[in-house]
Amino acid sequence: MIEIRDLNFSIAGKAILQNISLDIPDGAFAAIIGPNGAGKSTLVKLIMGLIPLQEGTVRIDSKAQTEWLKLNSFGYLPQREEYDRNFPATALDIVLMGIAGTLPFGKRCSKEHKQKAREVMRHTGIEDKAGNLIGTLSGGEFQRVMLARAMLSDSPYLILDEPEAGIDRPGVKSFFVLLKQLNEQGKTIITISHDLHTLSDYCSFLICLNRTLHCHNDMELVNADVIHKTFGDSVRLIEKDY
Amino acid sequence: MPGFLITAILGAVLSGISLAIFAPYVTLRKVSYLGEALSHIAFAGISIAIITGINMNLTALIFVSLVALAISALARHQKLQEANTITIFLSLSMALGIILISLSRNYSFDLASYLFGNVLLILPSEAMMLGVLAIINTIFVVFFYKELFYLSYNPEMARVFRIKTGIVDRIFYMLLAANIVLNLKSAGIILVTAQLILPAVIAFNLVRRLHLAVVVSVLAAVLCAVAGFGISYGLNLPTGATIVMCQALLYALSFVFKRRI
Repeated sequence: MIEIRDLNFSIAGKAILQNISLDIPDGAFAAIIGPNGAGKSTLVKLIMGLIPLQEGTVRIDSKAQTEWLKLNSFGYLPQREEYDRNFPATALDIVLMGIAGTLPFGKRCSKEHKQKAREVMRHTGIEDKAGNLIGTLSGGEFQRVMLARAMLSDSPYLILDEPEAGIDRPGVKSFFVLLKQLNEQGKTIITISHDLHTLSDYCSFLICLNRTLHCHNDMELVNADVIHKTFGDSVRLIEKDY
Repeated sequence: MPGFLITAILGAVLSGISLAIFAPYVTLRKVSYLGEALSHIAFAGISIAIITGINMNLTALIFVSLVALAISALARHQKLQEANTITIFLSLSMALGIILISLSRNYSFDLASYLFGNVLLILPSEAMMLGVLAIINTIFVVFFYKELFYLSYNPEMARVFRIKTGIVDRIFYMLLAANIVLNLKSAGIILVTAQLILPAVIAFNLVRRLHLAVVVSVLAAVLCAVAGFGISYGLNLPTGATIVMCQALLYALSFVFKRRI
């Protein structure tokens, strides 16, 4: 369980997040929605310790965030990963990154690790690209590589920042089906998304964020008013897309 | 063949090897500008050694290592943009070096040999030091292969997946400083960075795996060191500059065989 209490975060005096208190229960398939600049990516980066906390606390599995992070990691799929397309890494190398942190200095990934990585890649439908250099992969393929890496980390928490970016519409659906399977296997999933239609089919927990928290409740309890309060007029633009 | 020539050839080859092992990582991490800056920052270290009479390599090594660590710490904490930090340290060190050299009365010191490099002046003990450096570089890149690989790929994501890159990053910067300082006499302040980049870009034109790139980078450096030394000796040209010209030529040739993604 992730417990967030009285979280405030600002950059150069400008408030990015205000008074965020939130519990994300184990096994939830939580979606964070909100307009651009609402602080969604900042919130997940604060949860993962990628940005130092300024005010408030984050506890994970009843431990202080810093304590938890000493022994655990999050399975994270960033919105956009900065990488050089000419970097000499294969898709398999990037997936193995998910497990490399568990190995001591001087030890490389074993055949068993590679086998396990390939199995995960099979789940995300990217096994046939394992030996391909990352520069040759399409956006959608690389997205699946990053998901495989997050899965291989074996973290109980998967955090995804707009995973549908770079995937076509049918691809998004199969991607969320896969996430739902992982959720049913016990993983707690937290995803940032703009795709309300897809979210309503798969998510169990909605976090409406626009610098402050507007609601955090089961999907069916979230009505249109709350969505509109979070997004303002932008939600209509999203609806028009489909 | 005279003993000093054997030492010089050995020095040129070992200098090339030590820099070439490190080169692919300097290229992938895009810190070649830092290498360039550190070689100029070493000028202040050399000047301090001249004025105090303390061992030149040791003084320059300590000075450059401290500056390299300061730059990496400042950049990590984002107190200043990395490029600005490096420029500030570079300018400050050059200014300090120029002032100290002007105050020094040690006229016997041959500053030109440090600026442009002169492999013929290498002592057997210095050639041995380059050999030790090449061994340390090899141990570093082999032992910390996965940490260096993922640190070069994306430091933030390496941190997310708890890959222990902090200590490896610090050793990387200290070794970068050591490689530059110990190669100043053979390669020169101005040209040392060329030997820290060219073997790697030649290698990445030919192979697409990191471990192979390190091997090809070393082979290219050895080939160019021997060829450059021979040409410079035969035509009475400066050795360091001739070696760099050979590497540049090989780089141009490597485009013919460049692998396409």
